[in-house]
Amino acid sequence: MTSTNQITTPDYPKETGLAIINSKAPFSSNHGKDALDIALIFGSFEQKVSLFFQGDGVYQLIADQDGSLVSIKDYLKTFSAFEFYDIEDIYVCQQSLVNRQLEEVFHIDGVQVQTSSEFSAALNAHQHVLRF
Amino acid sequence: MKTLAVVVTTSPYSHLTITALTYVEAALVAGINVIGVFFYQDGVMHANEDISIASDEYQAIAHWQRLQQEYQLPLHVCITAAEKRGIACDSIDNEKINQIFTVSGLGELVELTTKASRLVQF
Repeated sequence: MTSTNQITTPDYPKETGLAIINSKAPFSSNHGKDALDIALIFGSFEQKVSLFFQGDGVYQLIADQDGSLVSIKDYLKTFSAFEFYDIEDIYVCQQSLVNRQLEEVFHIDGVQVQTSSEFSAALNAHQHVLRF
Repeated sequence: MKTLAVVVTTSPYSHLTITALTYVEAALVAGINVIGVFFYQDGVMHANEDISIASDEYQAIAHWQRLQQEYQLPLHVCITAAEKRGIACDSIDNEKINQIFTVSGLGELVELTTKASRLVQF
């Protein structure tokens, strides 16, 4: 520890774009859909947006779910449109999958399974973060 | 010049909203350029004209109004999220939106995010 009272600004690498963290299961609340709406708007404005799935949020990526069985409009189907919005960076936390005994089988392509340190490094590369 | 944008997703009776207000006011007092506050999810309930919170409780809406007037702080409310919660602006007779708020959409959030050096969510 130094005894100086100087405030130093840490030298972060150049960060760009928006990261959206999805941390909630898909059908118990509207958080996933609210996050999706933001992602698609950023995509349609040609702004860089990346999606992060962590905690119960990983359930949003799991294949063979049907929201209509619980009378919920299945917004997960819209995930397949990500490529048309140039949303290419989709990260899922491996530890969150392991904790829930979930296989790495997703309903969309291009999902990157990452260790906790890779996940946080990817998150850190973004200028802005929203969490839902 | 460093700029700040804030996203509020908590209701006017949430204690987290007090944290948001304290944070935004501290930034304004410190001379930071707060380019706007975007109300999303349950945050849009701040714009409901009919909200009435007991007088001995924290008056979040009155505090947002004070900041808006003192600092010309733009307060944006997401209309899709607002209509879902019964806060409509579809006719003059049925005007439920508090006049201190600007009716906006998620496009405004894109605008704020791209302009802001930092985005903070409550």
